[in-house]
Amino acid sequence: MRFRMLVFGLATVLTVASTAACSGSGQESGPVTIRLGFYAAAGDPADKTMRELIKEFQAANPSIRVELEVAPYMQFFQRVRTQIAGGKAPDVWLSDGVLVQEFAARNALTDLSERIKGVNAADFHGLDLAKDAKGRVFGFPQGAQTPVLFYNKKMFAEAKVEEPTAEWTYDDLAAAAKKLTKDANGDGKPELYGLRAYSPGFTESWWPIIKAFGGDIVSDGNSKVIINSPQSVAALEWMRTAMGEGGFAPDVVNTHSMGSPHAMFATGRVAMSYGIYARSLTAKNAGVDYGVAPLPKGQAGRGNVAIVNSWVISKTAQGAKADAAWKWITYFSGEGPQKRWAKLGEAIPINKRVAAAETPGVFLDALADADDLGTNAVWSEYTEALTKRVNEALSGTTPVADALATGQNEAQQAIDRFIASQPK
Amino acid sequence: MTAVLTADKAPPRPTAWRGRADERVWALAFASPYLLHLVALTAWPVLASLYFSMTEYDLVTPPRFVGFDNFARLFTDRIFWQTLGNTTYFAVLFVPAQTILALLLAVALNQKLRAVALIRAAYFVPVVSSWVVIAYVADAVFNPQFGIANQIFPAQDWLQDSALVIPTLAAVGVWKGVGYMMVLFLAGLQNIPQERYEAARIDGASAWQSFRYVTMPGISGTTFLVLVLTSITTLQAFEQIFVMTNGGPNGASELTVLYLYRQGFQFFQMGYASAIAWVLFVLVLGLTLVQFRLQRRWVHYA
Repeated sequence: MRFRMLVFGLATVLTVASTAACSGSGQESGPVTIRLGFYAAAGDPADKTMRELIKEFQAANPSIRVELEVAPYMQFFQRVRTQIAGGKAPDVWLSDGVLVQEFAARNALTDLSERIKGVNAADFHGLDLAKDAKGRVFGFPQGAQTPVLFYNKKMFAEAKVEEPTAEWTYDDLAAAAKKLTKDANGDGKPELYGLRAYSPGFTESWWPIIKAFGGDIVSDGNSKVIINSPQSVAALEWMRTAMGEGGFAPDVVNTHSMGSPHAMFATGRVAMSYGIYARSLTAKNAGVDYGVAPLPKGQAGRGNVAIVNSWVISKTAQGAKADAAWKWITYFSGEGPQKRWAKLGEAIPINKRVAAAETPGVFLDALADADDLGTNAVWSEYTEALTKRVNEALSGTTPVADALATGQNEAQQAIDRFIASQPK
Repeated sequence: MTAVLTADKAPPRPTAWRGRADERVWALAFASPYLLHLVALTAWPVLASLYFSMTEYDLVTPPRFVGFDNFARLFTDRIFWQTLGNTTYFAVLFVPAQTILALLLAVALNQKLRAVALIRAAYFVPVVSSWVVIAYVADAVFNPQFGIANQIFPAQDWLQDSALVIPTLAAVGVWKGVGYMMVLFLAGLQNIPQERYEAARIDGASAWQSFRYVTMPGISGTTFLVLVLTSITTLQAFEQIFVMTNGGPNGASELTVLYLYRQGFQFFQMGYASAIAWVLFVLVLGLTLVQFRLQRRWVHYA
């Protein structure tokens, strides 16, 4: 009796302990199920549209079932990283364009180069930007983002300032921004600013400005950090002047205290802002009468950069799953779904015909002229090192030249460490 | 129970472990859930992390043994030292503030006040709330635009100012944690025999003197426990920082555990992250040993 109870007890314990380990196994035969991950804010229209598209995709492909895994941006990528580590990444997921090479370098993604030979590359935007230094493609474009100059038409009219043109230089930008800056209550601090210069998201801030001034961030297949140059110093000094006493842009602390930097243009606190395509949505929803113009020209052009968010297929998705995942990617890139996606105003459609019909030309010109955002295997790490120092420079706690020297050094260490760790 | 009843027939064995074989099996059977848990979820990961700390490991490809390279890198990693500095700063503000405040609250709430249960509960609510909730409440206080802290102090961007961020985080941390420590102190206070206070009163002790010479020695054991627990909490602080600032602005609030997390799960450097974990472990152990050594000088167990 006792013995039997003992066996029973041990068996219960072992069962409980082992169920945790073996959940989620078991391959179905017949219809194939793929797990699809993408990021969207809760209640976001993008989430709704994605669900509709998936329903239609399943109707058109009865042998494929799609399980959705959605989370807001930050949580999504925290989870994906953990899932990759545990070998349980979604079969196909939407990756921020800048992270594709990080995942690829950790051997977490399927090389799509072969599959892409089957599509007509000329039909899609952003395929070139998706290539890594060796010319391989690990992500297929889902939507493109590139910053342009957003301006508030009403504020321009009220201040009697000419609207921005394609001929604008950084001097023109500064001159107009100065006229648009207003201290209405006479306390010596403006309530309305001409330009939002600083943003924690550097794509809409210092990165294109440094490039326009003739500097650059990385070179040599994005393996060598070259931010510490007289041109970059000049670019950041320009920004500091803009944000300084008597300037025309809120300083770093002020930018933070005015709420999200993306909201400042939408709420009419700044007359101009560098913004990616997705900001049209914020501005539209807030009822701002806005226009878009190309970024102003510096000594070295406009400094356009672009991010191509991409569908990636997990290395763990094999055979039928990988085929089904690829089918989804090509479906999403087709004209019908792309048109629906474009209506969200969330990204520049990657299908060229849809993009030509749906997207203002300013964005397409910027995209055509854009460089990638210095992506490589340690993008998160090296840009974080840089961002810290650049922010120190812009907030005035460290002299610009010192901050750039330190930043370059630290960012390069991150890249070198990765290169050194690779098998020869 | 059985052992007691049968004691006169069979003399008790020297130790429990030498009991009948049957009992040994039972003991193991009852302990087995805990033992399995201990081995699978504690001992094994600890040993694994010790191994990983000597490897280059990106979580996907197999680890590559590199000896003590990760530890060597730690000693020259400026940001790691900066995070240790941040952690120390946080601890220096947090530990005394939380301990003293918890003690004062406990003494106050140990009196016969009206609605004392309600007040005790009010202080305990933040303890059981999640950090995400606390972060929302803290935002209502410290938001530079509409936070109520701005009514008392000049408008500041509390969490985005590198000089203010650690003190602000420490203040919020104290608010969240003080209720728990207060309960520990309350338990300690209620263990002090009333006769000692009566004796002190008869000897003509003032309120301060009876606090100084009766209460404080009476709760020195509890105080020691609170100090050790609070110190360990600060060295392990993660969730609060992760939710409220994520290390910002520019690393000013990046504490060591957050740095460890980012190295491991954001930058795919699990080997390096494990090395940080072991250094941190040694520091926590060292600090705790020092506290245990010092307790002989001031802790009385009555």
